[in-house]
Amino acid sequence: MNPFQQNIYRPRRDFLYGLGASLGSVALTSMLQADEPSATVSQVPHFPAKAKRCIFLMMEGGPSQIDTFDPKAELTKRHLQEFSRSGEEQSAMSSGKRYFVKSPFKFKKAGQCGADICDQWVHLQERVDDICFYRGAQAESVNHPTACYHINTGNRFGGDPGVGAWVTYGLGTSNKNLPGFVVLPRSSYPQGGAANWSNGFLPAEYQGTPLRPQGSPILNLNLPAGMTSDQQRENLDLLAKLNQQHLTGRPGRSELAARMGSYELAYRMQSEVPGILDIDGESRSTLDMYGIGDAKTDRFGRKCLLARRLVEKGVRFVQAYAGNWDSHDYIERAHGSLIRSVDQPIAALLKDLKQRGMLKDTLVFFCGEFGRTPDNGLRGGGKSYGRDHNAKAMTMWFAGGGVKAGETIGATDEVGGEAVECVHPLRDVHVTLLRLLGLDDNKLTYYHAGRFKQLSQFGGDVINELIA
Amino acid sequence: MLRQERDRFTTMQLTATQRIARQGQTVIEMAVGIILCSLCISVAMPLQAADPDTDMAATSEWGDGEMLFALKVSQLFADKCNACHGDDPDNIEGGFDMRSRESILVGGDAFEDTVVLPGIGQKSMLHVVTTRRESGYEMPPKESEKLTEEQVNWIRKWIDLGASWPNQSTIESIRNKYAQGVQVPTSGGLSDDWSNRRYQSEHLWAYRPTQNSVVPDDQHPIDYFVNKALRQKDLEPAADALPYEVCRRLSFGLTGLPPSVQQTANFAKSYSADTQKAVADYADTLMSSPHYGEHFGRHWLDVGRYADSAGFANDYARPNAWRYRDYVIRAFNNDLPYSDFVRQQIAGDELSNTDSDNLIATGFLRMGPWEQTSMSVFRVTRQQWLDDVTDSVGQTFLAHPLQCCKCHDHKFDPLPTRDYYSVMAVFSTTQFAEPDVPFTDDECQTGFEAGDQWTTAKIEAYKKQQQELSQKIAAKRKTESANAKIGDNGLDPGDEASQARMNKNIKRHEWELDKTRPIALSVYTGKTVARNNVSGRLTVPLNPWKKGYFEKDTILTGGDAFSPGAPVTPGALSAAERIGDMPSRPFPSGKGKRRMALADWIIHDDNPLTSRVIVNRVWSWHFGKGIAGNPNNFGATGRLPTHPELLDYLANWFVDNGWSIKKLNRLIVQSQTYRRSSRHLNPEQVEAKDPKRDLYATFLPRRLTAEEMRDALLSCSGELNRQIGGLPCRPDLNQEVAMQPRQIMGGTASVYEPDALPQQRNRRSIYAEKIRGLRDPFFETFNQPGPDRSCELRETSTVAPQAFTLLNAQEMQDRSLAFAKSLLSRNDDADDVVQDAFQIALARIPIESELQAVKSHWDRAIKSEQGKLYEPVRLDTKIVRTVMAEKTGEPYDFIEIMPAYANYVPDVQPSQLDARTRALGQVCLVLMNLNEFSYLD
Repeated sequence: MNPFQQNIYRPRRDFLYGLGASLGSVALTSMLQADEPSATVSQVPHFPAKAKRCIFLMMEGGPSQIDTFDPKAELTKRHLQEFSRSGEEQSAMSSGKRYFVKSPFKFKKAGQCGADICDQWVHLQERVDDICFYRGAQAESVNHPTACYHINTGNRFGGDPGVGAWVTYGLGTSNKNLPGFVVLPRSSYPQGGAANWSNGFLPAEYQGTPLRPQGSPILNLNLPAGMTSDQQRENLDLLAKLNQQHLTGRPGRSELAARMGSYELAYRMQSEVPGILDIDGESRSTLDMYGIGDAKTDRFGRKCLLARRLVEKGVRFVQAYAGNWDSHDYIERAHGSLIRSVDQPIAALLKDLKQRGMLKDTLVFFCGEFGRTPDNGLRGGGKSYGRDHNAKAMTMWFAGGGVKAGETIGATDEVGGEAVECVHPLRDVHVTLLRLLGLDDNKLTYYHAGRFKQLSQFGGDVINELIA
Repeated sequence: MLRQERDRFTTMQLTATQRIARQGQTVIEMAVGIILCSLCISVAMPLQAADPDTDMAATSEWGDGEMLFALKVSQLFADKCNACHGDDPDNIEGGFDMRSRESILVGGDAFEDTVVLPGIGQKSMLHVVTTRRESGYEMPPKESEKLTEEQVNWIRKWIDLGASWPNQSTIESIRNKYAQGVQVPTSGGLSDDWSNRRYQSEHLWAYRPTQNSVVPDDQHPIDYFVNKALRQKDLEPAADALPYEVCRRLSFGLTGLPPSVQQTANFAKSYSADTQKAVADYADTLMSSPHYGEHFGRHWLDVGRYADSAGFANDYARPNAWRYRDYVIRAFNNDLPYSDFVRQQIAGDELSNTDSDNLIATGFLRMGPWEQTSMSVFRVTRQQWLDDVTDSVGQTFLAHPLQCCKCHDHKFDPLPTRDYYSVMAVFSTTQFAEPDVPFTDDECQTGFEAGDQWTTAKIEAYKKQQQELSQKIAAKRKTESANAKIGDNGLDPGDEASQARMNKNIKRHEWELDKTRPIALSVYTGKTVARNNVSGRLTVPLNPWKKGYFEKDTILTGGDAFSPGAPVTPGALSAAERIGDMPSRPFPSGKGKRRMALADWIIHDDNPLTSRVIVNRVWSWHFGKGIAGNPNNFGATGRLPTHPELLDYLANWFVDNGWSIKKLNRLIVQSQTYRRSSRHLNPEQVEAKDPKRDLYATFLPRRLTAEEMRDALLSCSGELNRQIGGLPCRPDLNQEVAMQPRQIMGGTASVYEPDALPQQRNRRSIYAEKIRGLRDPFFETFNQPGPDRSCELRETSTVAPQAFTLLNAQEMQDRSLAFAKSLLSRNDDADDVVQDAFQIALARIPIESELQAVKSHWDRAIKSEQGKLYEPVRLDTKIVRTVMAEKTGEPYDFIEIMPAYANYVPDVQPSQLDARTRALGQVCLVLMNLNEFSYLD
């Protein structure tokens, strides 16, 4: 617990109205200083940064680097030759006889930069000159929930704040009628559940707010059955009147006034939020660009378009989930249809942001929780091959605010099994992501359970090669 | 100025000598305050000491620079710099090696030989980077570790004085003579530097034996200490709170429930007759109610990170965890001495494995999230549990988050990493099991039949569907073509996925059937057996020492399970032993009862931590803040006690009174401090003299916790089923969340289905099944902490989703209508109804203006409600769900059967009520949204 937040008589600043914090830690600093000198939050603004917001495209399940952006001719040569792996840190998954497996997809060099990309990415091929592909990242876990927690929170065992929570804690949000950190989950929640976008030990206002694909986008945003807006207004008027009377006898109780304010905010949000989330007002050509209306791209297309609308309205951090990329079998079919489901929406998002002049200060980050192996057991008599989990190499790219455009950084070995060039652990990816948003991981700390905690856990390095 | 300094140096030498004469205690305390003061002053004066006339050496055999280095700078380098600049010679960051004067003068890659310019501190980059003015080179890099202004000045001044670097023996001599602070003997750090470090004396308060202050006979000890501090600040305490306020405070404080109308009336009467007695009697009544144990149990379960599921990929049920929850409730209700409570939870099975409670209690050790699947490495998950239990035991019983010294010696506290692994070694022979443990008469077995019925119905529904699907698959499946990388087996995208999903859910539900069986979530002592996959009950082997292996008890370098370092033996916190004057007893190793030894160590009368930790917790449960502000952290980074004498007094009193929590509660609530009004006649004065509200001039108001809120709502509406203990219940929760598909390993978890009957659902919140992967949004919104980490105190944040919940959630409509219905079942007259409503919801009657406002609102609402037509709810027993198939990357639909809805009886529905009742429901909704409802004065 933050030593400065445990007093029940909290200073006014803790009662941040709305779903998200309206002040980031940088802005809070000056107020905190009045209380007690502390390193709880930064005392100085961090870095000037190009990126002011982030859209995190979370490819849940672990997309294969080898079958997306990192072609390996060597695998074609060794296809179905026996493969061996050693080391004591093995799970039961990687036991048994194993064989190299080639990619079922063809690759091409795309764009001015000549980036490698497999032929399934029909639309994204057009955007590679805006993208910085990164092949050096390594995860630490080959288990979905621990790896998801790791990429999402920096801690493999859960319970820590999500990246978006940290960013919102650092930067706040510029629209107090909307949460600062929004999550667009798939129809099913990932393994490990909502802890993937938790506020962890940060105050509750930094929690990721999932906007549901169906039903009420924010829980209980809609009026209950039978209740009219007028009736609710009357209820709120009585509530305000009685609360005011109560407050009169309790001067200086700012938390009571804040709670009254939160009801008025809620009332406003009820009428305003649905409009912000409603994409029907977009032009037909925009909807078409995102593939909305086309069965294979409609789901993720809506997420990408919503992500753009949200960041436009001042939401700081949007995380959109796609998947499940866990193709242990039938990788051609499974990865093929998954790529088709996200290809056009992502390409449209990049294009749309660029058209609106927003790509330069919006960071788009694409990754999974880990990569996949160059090898596979012989399931289904060798006919149904896929790939297993691999922490040593993975798929990842950045685009927009502050990153190099049209570059490929780092490399994996000849079979794509392990990163060997510009190798960095995920904590460095996190530190870099924060840096691109103007935040210093070493300053973005929060006192909890005896120490100052940070996204990278114990600090990390910026991957300078990625930064423009 | 300089002459003055010299005079001070002389004085301090004398003082030092005098102090040294007092050495020889276990703790060598060389609190040479004057030396320090003087040095700080001199060091804090920029550019003064370079005066060639100064002859500091005349007063000391060593130069100023040497002194400064030995006493301050070298330790600063060790603490803040050497981790990157010297500790690991093979990995020197930026090429800058800080291990010697020579290497420092050479500098690093960045600033080369401008790093240290002897005599010119101001321009030396070593100084500049510590001021954090040089962008990109702020040192130390972590903001949380930045140097204080004083420390920055030490470095500058040291360079000004020539950057001298005396040899080790000189450093030792200087330190022996002048060093400030307290050295603490421990089991030994990873480096001598750490072992010899000194601590600010006040940060060691928790390890020192408790002091016994004398309290005048005619004074309540709490008031004596609290009022003394108030007098020192010349701050008048507030008067006693109003009777209904104290009544509500006591009722929520001791049972987590609002007082009944009758209780409030009785209390008000006796309070005005005899305040002390009224409070004492009511507290006794409340503490003899079984709801007391529920409420205090809830406090404990926050600390103990309780949940009914295991988390991670499968989030398997822990079908017998509820017996631990009920054990905790019983322990508080029976006022089990805290010492026994500790022993049972840490080592119950080693005490006697025939006593049910002993085995159930050890569930504490397994409360953290944990799983082992074929995707995880056993060594890693085993280590994860060892880390969790070590840290949790540290936080819970000793107020020490031990994780801080897992990878290195503790940065602020005298906790060597060796101690961490010694505590961990206590648990290295602890193994998981769910043995047969007979139910006792004290355990509630109500609802077993219904609980099993649902689980069985769920399994049968899956089996039936599975059979149908198998037939379909058998009919449709085609042999894949020779190059069938695309899976052209003739099946629909979800067919195979559905088989896997149903298999997994059947397995999950079959394990859940254990919840009604006499089994406990427990542990035994034995060898470790590596497991690839744990997806069902584990039993205790006949001979726990036969199969498996003894774990090597070693320090793990960098906390890495695969990097064993120096061997350790089981033990506890060496600093607490040595500073606290505890008799040190060796812990058994090998096949010995290691946990019993640890438990006995923790509850030893001379353990300086344990009794302070628990009385501080109990205090925080009453007052919303601890005397020591971080109930899980008594180390240097935790807040110092605001009333250390009081804390010690209570700790001693508690032990003298048989470790009885009930007696401690009685003592606390009978104090004037407890029954003070939350309003002060002169709030400006309080703000000025006690801005942090540390002095208890008023009672600190607090918001109800998530659980208190829901329980209060159910209590007001008359729907609360007050059954004590038993199987977890499944309340109604937000339908969208309940139906939200969530992935587990191998598929999608079953839909959340509430219990069928209102009385099953509407039990106290502590009984609500706590599923790690599916948190109840109502509780989460009101700051219920996640169960993955120990929670020392609840947070209170005020956010709009709370308003959405309390205005719009279905549960709120249900409560409001039920409240309205019960009000009208007792009274018909509008005045009587509203009076009754206020008394139930707020423990007071409305004033006239409130009465009129509410009545006219009710009238308006009747008009709105008239003519509205409500349909009775119809709940389907099937749901169509859409998820993605892994093998095909394509979505598919499936139908899931929900047996709970076959017999589901909804709560009171608007379609069953007339307009007047529904309109009163609107009034009730407003009352339950009031600040006064949510906040306890």
